[in-house]
Amino acid sequence: MSPEAIIDGLFAGSVYALVALALTIVFRPTRIMNFAQGEAVILGAAVAYQIVALEKLGWAVTLGVTLVLAAFMGLLMERMIMLPVRLSGSRYAWIIATLAAALIFQSLFNLKYFDVDALRPEPVIEGGFQLVGIAVEWQEALTILVALAVMGGYDLFLHRSAYGRAIRATAHSSDTSVLMGIPVQRIIGLSFVIGAVITAIAGMLAAPVIFVAPAAGLLFTIKGFTAAVIGGVGSPRGALAGGMIVGLLDTVVRSMVGGSVGNFAVFAALAVILVVFPSGLFGKPMEAH
Amino acid sequence: MATVDSRVPGSGDATARGSVFDSPGYHRARTAVLGALAIIAVAVLLAWPMITDYYSYNAAYYNGLVASAAISAILTISLNLSMGYGGMLSMMHSGLQLAGGYATGYLVVELSGSWLLGIVASVLVGTVVAMLVLLVSLRATYLYFGMITLAANLIVIEIGREWDPVTGGIVGISGISPKLGDEVMSKQAFYYVVLACLALMYVLQRNLVRSGVGRAAMAVRESSDTASAMGISPSRAKLLLFGICGGMAGLSGALYALQLGFINPDVGLLDNGIIFFVGLFLGGISTLIGPIIGVGFIALLVELIKDQARYTTLVLGLLLLIAMMVIPQGIVGTWRSSRMGRDKLPELKEGPLPDEVPDVVPEVRGVPEGTAALEGSGIVKHFGGVHALDGVDIRVMPGTVHGIIGPNGSGKSTLVSCLTRYHRIDAGQVKIFGTEAPATAHGVARGGVTRVFQVPHLFERVSVLDNVLTGMRMQESYSWLGAVLRSPAYRRQDRKERQEARELLAFAGLAGRADWLASSLSHGQKRLLEVVRAVASRPKVLILDEPATGLTSEELDALGRLCRVLRERGLAVVLIEHDVDFVMGLCDELTVLESGKVIERGTPEKVRNSAAVLEAYLGRPDLVEETS
Repeated sequence: MSPEAIIDGLFAGSVYALVALALTIVFRPTRIMNFAQGEAVILGAAVAYQIVALEKLGWAVTLGVTLVLAAFMGLLMERMIMLPVRLSGSRYAWIIATLAAALIFQSLFNLKYFDVDALRPEPVIEGGFQLVGIAVEWQEALTILVALAVMGGYDLFLHRSAYGRAIRATAHSSDTSVLMGIPVQRIIGLSFVIGAVITAIAGMLAAPVIFVAPAAGLLFTIKGFTAAVIGGVGSPRGALAGGMIVGLLDTVVRSMVGGSVGNFAVFAALAVILVVFPSGLFGKPMEAH
Repeated sequence: MATVDSRVPGSGDATARGSVFDSPGYHRARTAVLGALAIIAVAVLLAWPMITDYYSYNAAYYNGLVASAAISAILTISLNLSMGYGGMLSMMHSGLQLAGGYATGYLVVELSGSWLLGIVASVLVGTVVAMLVLLVSLRATYLYFGMITLAANLIVIEIGREWDPVTGGIVGISGISPKLGDEVMSKQAFYYVVLACLALMYVLQRNLVRSGVGRAAMAVRESSDTASAMGISPSRAKLLLFGICGGMAGLSGALYALQLGFINPDVGLLDNGIIFFVGLFLGGISTLIGPIIGVGFIALLVELIKDQARYTTLVLGLLLLIAMMVIPQGIVGTWRSSRMGRDKLPELKEGPLPDEVPDVVPEVRGVPEGTAALEGSGIVKHFGGVHALDGVDIRVMPGTVHGIIGPNGSGKSTLVSCLTRYHRIDAGQVKIFGTEAPATAHGVARGGVTRVFQVPHLFERVSVLDNVLTGMRMQESYSWLGAVLRSPAYRRQDRKERQEARELLAFAGLAGRADWLASSLSHGQKRLLEVVRAVASRPKVLILDEPATGLTSEELDALGRLCRVLRERGLAVVLIEHDVDFVMGLCDELTVLESGKVIERGTPEKVRNSAAVLEAYLGRPDLVEETS
């Protein structure tokens, strides 16, 4: 195993951690595990590919377009998922609705990029540097830093702002929150938007380095979910820890054994963790599920 | 068996009453039309190869279309059993199909075995994989169960990709064909094999769901606590049902491989699996015929847009979302709850309650003198630092009504949960008729101690009668195979059970509502039904946790009457209650709890005059006088 594998693992881990964070953000007020979350990764990657690699317009434009499109995607997801869930009343409604949303987005990406294997733009910063003898690409370092900043920022937002308090209250009981005058509908909408934006940024930054196929959204969701479960669904810090564990496990196993054994290790780890700790490694039991 | 969510029978709106849709003539006509449609559908399916042969140059294509749809329908029935009736969110059905396909493919191609043997192997593989996954995830709640199945699905696919010698790696196995002797069976003959399998699986589903096995699974779906109180082991019920689902999925995998001639890892992908979810939800989850109708509908749709095949996933996804919003209960569920489709319920006839006690009410005789029916000694239970129970002794004698009273938070419900093994006790002993109580909640129920919970725990989505039948699960001795094949033993027991359940309902004054959905009863009727369901499980000790809360005085009388009948029959009835008049009038003996300790026990008179009890309920009178 090369030391570079560890850096690769931390890089992949920060992408999964961001997806896990987004899953958590949507889960807390809605109690919905959004299977369409990974599609925002593809959106970010697709925008970067389209604008940087095809249109040659640069990363500043990419960031702007990604933010706008991701926010729109979040709003759209909220409608596509919450409306059927409310109207249907079935206990499985959430999973069917999120799966349907995931497939709709996936088929849209497939239709647009049917002849593209990997959505791969040039990196934001070319090249790399040496850190105690380990070669690190600038793009990897940037992604890890952005992930840490997003995590820290969201943690602050959650604990220091009035809106953050409202979100935490909604997570505990949306019914009581309505009575307290908290605009729960708006919070749910906002959660979807924030989740989609964070995930899209992850996709945008990841695309130059890792393999992002147009149909890979579900795979990112599942790895993000694994990270969230390991960290315990609900906390940004848990998401970070879980993401890093998943990323390291994936890349290290891949570099030692090779091939698709990395995926296998991650899914096996998920199964083992859920069997031994039914409520995640660091988490509280997820009630009502 | 009506399990559709929101059907409120006889909701009694004046406009609907007397409309043409409620007339007996309409119901007769509807039955006839639906029956005729079903016969036509079956006839068309049977004659399909002849029809396509006559009308089309491409008969094999159209036969394959219907056969593939039938194979999908088998998998969707399996999904319906596990999600709709068992409440187990399975995301590994496409993986089970893949595993089944590999079993047949390997056996037929590599070992040149017979395809019939391949089908058997596939069923076995599917069953084993499903049971293994369920065994490792017994403790997981339902979302996590879904995730474990998703992980299992991915693992099956990864194994398929890597295990070259058996699965053929990424390429998969091809050239799988059903052979009769040395000749390959014609597609047309195999069409009938598939059709026969579908019919068998439909019958299996129907018979299973309508038997005690299905009722047990549905009880676990609603609440595993309540199921345990009926003596049903949630783990065993889930394992059995999911094993059967796995076998069905394996069968569909075998048929898939034989029909198409190949199997590869892509078959297991969730993207392919989505079509089964769409079919299930479109047709109607938790309905018998829904999966078949849903899959048929989708097969038709996919065929119609086949020129634009790249939009198929998009169209299916949008269709699924729209269907969830417009017909959340699926085609079948929506039809059943519509005015045209709902069943007519018998008019209510309120007669006097029968005086004769039905024989179903159990009798406990010949207990040795001095043996307590239920005995707890030195029971200690801590929740963190809170001493909920601090060395409680209680002896409940057979043939008595034993009251447990005490202020709020004194530990009454905790005591019941400890006695019935819902909570693990920190110290102490529980004995049932002198022997150590079993360690599990359902074991205690099988030992003859049945409890009724403080908040109603009815199975709301099934009928009143089915609720009572679920309570009788412990007496049923037929196996799931007996239920599926409708063996003589099954028929005999089923007939007897239904008879007894109706007698019990009549005794409790609920006879006219036997076919209603449990959710449509009033609060008092629900409480009464819960007691009836508990009595149906033939307990020796019946524990009622605050049954009188919110009852009208007539309902209280009915409850008191039932308790007295049970006492006469030699049962021990434990009553936790706040209504002091009700308790004092009914109980032979009382135990008074306060802060997890017994402060008084004895006859109602003794308790009424006890200084300790007065203090616990009213505070110390001497102190009150001093301060005022």
